[in-house]
Amino acid sequence: MRISELLNREVVTESGLRLGRVHDIRGELAGGRLRITGLCAGKLGVLERYGVGTQGSGGSSEPKVHGHPVIPWERVVRVGTQVVIRD
Amino acid sequence: MSVKNVLAVALGIMSAIGGFVDIGDLVFNTQAGAIFGFQLLWVVVIGVVGIIVYSEMCGRVSAVAKRPVFDLVRERTGFGAGLATLIASEIVNLMTCAAEIGGVAICFQLLSGLPYRLLIPLAVIGLAVCSWVLPFRWLERVFGYLGLGLLVFAVAAIKLHPDWGQVAHGFVPGSHSGGSLMVYLYFVVGLLGAAMTPYEVYFYSSGAVEDRWGLKELRLNQVTSIIGYVLGGFLSFALMIVAGALFLPLGISPQFLGTPALAAEHALGQLGLLLALVGILFAVGGAAIETSFAGGYNMAQFFGWRWGKRERPARASRFTLSWLAIFALALLLVMTGYDPVKLTEFSVIFSVVALPLTYLPILLIANDRAYMGSNVNGKLANVLGGLYFLLILVIAVVAIPLMLLTHGGQG
Amino acid sequence: MNKVIDVDIALSILDHQLVDGDGQNCGKVDDLEIAGLDTDSPEIVEIIVGGNAWRSRGLLGRLAARLSGDAVHVPWPEVDSVTSVVTLKRPAAELRLNRGDERWAALVGKVPGS
Repeated sequence: MRISELLNREVVTESGLRLGRVHDIRGELAGGRLRITGLCAGKLGVLERYGVGTQGSGGSSEPKVHGHPVIPWERVVRVGTQVVIRD
Repeated sequence: MSVKNVLAVALGIMSAIGGFVDIGDLVFNTQAGAIFGFQLLWVVVIGVVGIIVYSEMCGRVSAVAKRPVFDLVRERTGFGAGLATLIASEIVNLMTCAAEIGGVAICFQLLSGLPYRLLIPLAVIGLAVCSWVLPFRWLERVFGYLGLGLLVFAVAAIKLHPDWGQVAHGFVPGSHSGGSLMVYLYFVVGLLGAAMTPYEVYFYSSGAVEDRWGLKELRLNQVTSIIGYVLGGFLSFALMIVAGALFLPLGISPQFLGTPALAAEHALGQLGLLLALVGILFAVGGAAIETSFAGGYNMAQFFGWRWGKRERPARASRFTLSWLAIFALALLLVMTGYDPVKLTEFSVIFSVVALPLTYLPILLIANDRAYMGSNVNGKLANVLGGLYFLLILVIAVVAIPLMLLTHGGQG
Repeated sequence: MNKVIDVDIALSILDHQLVDGDGQNCGKVDDLEIAGLDTDSPEIVEIIVGGNAWRSRGLLGRLAARLSGDAVHVPWPEVDSVTSVVTLKRPAAELRLNRGDERWAALVGKVPGS
């Protein structure tokens, strides 16, 4: 699957609680590999889409993160037309 | 300051002055003067300050992030919004390029007497050859310095002995005698659009990267561009004052691009006419080159291609073909024989509509501490940038309705 | 690289500039291929550049994809570093990137001084 296909998918818990859409994917750069470690879901403010509010992280020499809470990948049950996570 | 620095600043200012005025300024300032006299001078001031605010931001972003603004649009706003911005800006670049080429062809016609239709392809070929052969800085210099022929309008404005009291009143918004409120507002929008052209900031910011500016060069260039734009703004005043002092009392409606040049002749004889035509030719020709390059830069920067005049044309072949394509398409557009004055009006009004898309990324990126570090926007830049952004949102919304309601300023 | 760095992929990598080992532009990160989505540790295995990479990027993307050729898949191990741009280890030509410039170079090269 491609990342563009994963982005914007609805995220729901096993019990059906809707958590919004995937607006970003948290990864970990280590040892020359990029592992996926979590999802950012929910509403993304208009300004945040434009990169404002990244709390000064990154810089021209480092990648950026939003300040949003991340759903750890271990909680993901399955990825179908929706992303289902454990309660 | 060393002699070398002073010289560099002086040269930079000169090329900025000569490069400030393009066909949009020529048409709108002259028509505004012919209808409303000096009453719209205050709008030019607002426009000049606006372009200074956003050029400063663009230059700062390019010098600090070492990448031009459009390069950052896609990573900031995403693929879809970035592509929409690209399409909108390419349409505007193309229309503006066509309008400028029409202006160049008309100058050739007035200078040579040869037919307009023949001169259009000659104009494009001449501009394309210059763009191909001359290095980046030389393009700016040559076209900028020779554009200084426009100074003849400043001389003409003084020689025409306008009522300077009335001129002074023009710097304060007040009445709109001579035309309806709608037509007045149409010209407010048009004059702002003519001053704050989108291609200008794209070209400026890509040029900063082409010239490998760092923070050191940035300071120098801020000074030259601010002084250059202010003095260039005086040229716009001159155009409006000349039209207000000469055309308005005589009831002349400047529907032809040659009319302003005739004003120079009236005030200063044959020499005045020649200087005016040469000045217009190079100011407008320089703008044609800037728009075609802005088009090339935007394409290449959206798709991530190699770009820049520094590169050998065949190495950055897609970039090269992009700016050549703008010239080719603009040529076709002008060859349709569509009235160049109308084409200019359309290009300015459409660029007003595209202005928010252009300026928003600049404002946001200039505020991004991650890219800008300590050079992020200060309070002044944000207040001015924000106010101007609100202004351009308003004019973007009313531009096309006003154009339709007033039949392009005819009332 | 011994450091472990957290990164938000859509914000910091997707749609960012790709730069090759010689410092030359060679496209944008148009998409990323994920492997192991059904495991506990999926990872990004490829950068997808150009061509029909845009087919899943919305309506305009699909239109753009129709007008282009095949995308290039760059294996993630080719990445040297991720800063505001994604820098690769090797030159673009070795990774089959910038073929577009090569394709058109013949045409542009016909003009003297290119």
